Amino acid sequence: MPTVLVIAARDDWPTDRVVKTLDERGATVFRMDAAEFPEEAGLAARIDDSHGWAGGVVTSHRELDLADVSACYFRTPHPFRFAEGMSDAERRFAAAQARAGFGGILTALDCRWVSHPSAMSRAEYKPYQLAAARECGLTLPPTLITNRPDAVQAFAGDIPGTIICKPVASPVFIEGDQLKAVYTRVLTEDDLGDLTGMETTAHLFQAWVDKAYEVRLTMAGDRPFAAEVHSDTKAGYTDWRSDYKSLTYKPTAPPPDVIERVRALMHRLELRFGALDFVVSPAGEWTFLEVNPCGQWDWIQHATGHPIAEGIADELLGVTE
Amino acid sequence: MIPVAHPREAFPLSPEGGRIPHSSEQPSGPDTRPWVLRFAVLPDSARATALPPALYDEDRQISVGVDTDLLPYMQTHSPTIPDGSPANPPPLDEGPKD
Repeated sequence: MPTVLVIAARDDWPTDRVVKTLDERGATVFRMDAAEFPEEAGLAARIDDSHGWAGGVVTSHRELDLADVSACYFRTPHPFRFAEGMSDAERRFAAAQARAGFGGILTALDCRWVSHPSAMSRAEYKPYQLAAARECGLTLPPTLITNRPDAVQAFAGDIPGTIICKPVASPVFIEGDQLKAVYTRVLTEDDLGDLTGMETTAHLFQAWVDKAYEVRLTMAGDRPFAAEVHSDTKAGYTDWRSDYKSLTYKPTAPPPDVIERVRALMHRLELRFGALDFVVSPAGEWTFLEVNPCGQWDWIQHATGHPIAEGIADELLGVTE
Repeated sequence: MIPVAHPREAFPLSPEGGRIPHSSEQPSGPDTRPWVLRFAVLPDSARATALPPALYDEDRQISVGVDTDLLPYMQTHSPTIPDGSPANPPPLDEGPKD
């Protein structure tokens, strides 16, 4: 029986909505977290000259035959969990074996992926995203990535308006037992007057794009679900992630040429799901900022009524409009 | 055999110990601290999202509420808003995936 394999953390509640939608449509779902392997889930699979990988996964509640998997939904599972009492060296060795063995078998599945893990990993890199978006014809803000103070000064001199800085990778970290975040910063002359520490790592700078509002465009397969994101505070206007409570949302329809280019970008990145961020200027021009291969979407569905979970289920079940 | 790329690139999982590695260390000096971290902020704990208690239902393969028929995903439509607690990480958009 065709089965949708869901590999996700148990506490990822938006995934619950997808599982329930699949269930309501009569699909067979096998959900597991990588954390269940190896202690709560057993894997056995064979390959030889006459057959591809054949076998399955068994948990205390259900069995999965790899041959039945028609689609796989992958959403940041937890790490493998091993027996108490392993040494650190044993745990690291076991984790590498599990990733290559368990992860290797699953990623070899020839089925519909939303999205394939290796494509998601690759697409996490902002420079790669920006290069792909440019090649697909999307408008980008002029961008600099550097660890050289002189390159920052030159970039600031070349850009006629304001520039911003934001992390090129994750903006959150834990330091001194506290979670901290770095949001988009509109740079002042004082900021640019002291670039001590620039050499320590890569930094990303972009031209500030005048905005009427931002758009969160969620792609489920080829289907776009777009929401205008408005903020009435300075912090939220600069970076909406910094002030969620100030935000209001409104369904919107992207221009056809933007949709066409976004579909090309998704195809190029081999993603079947993505949460993209755009700035829309007062003149209505759309500027691409980034795509999140594992972005949040549930709150957008609630705020706008966009049937995103249903769109993801459609993609997993091979339903086309 | 030494791999040329970390195999987790092909099968990304949350890191051990949580999506965001924990550190008790304090900031270093200006010469060694990444420049952009001078703009790091502590999220406002008063604006954090409270999550309802939940249990995982093995048969339904979704989380269910405790003392309520409402499913947790029906009660939480807000993105997770970080409050500075390492136990309350921000949405996946903002966190490392691996």
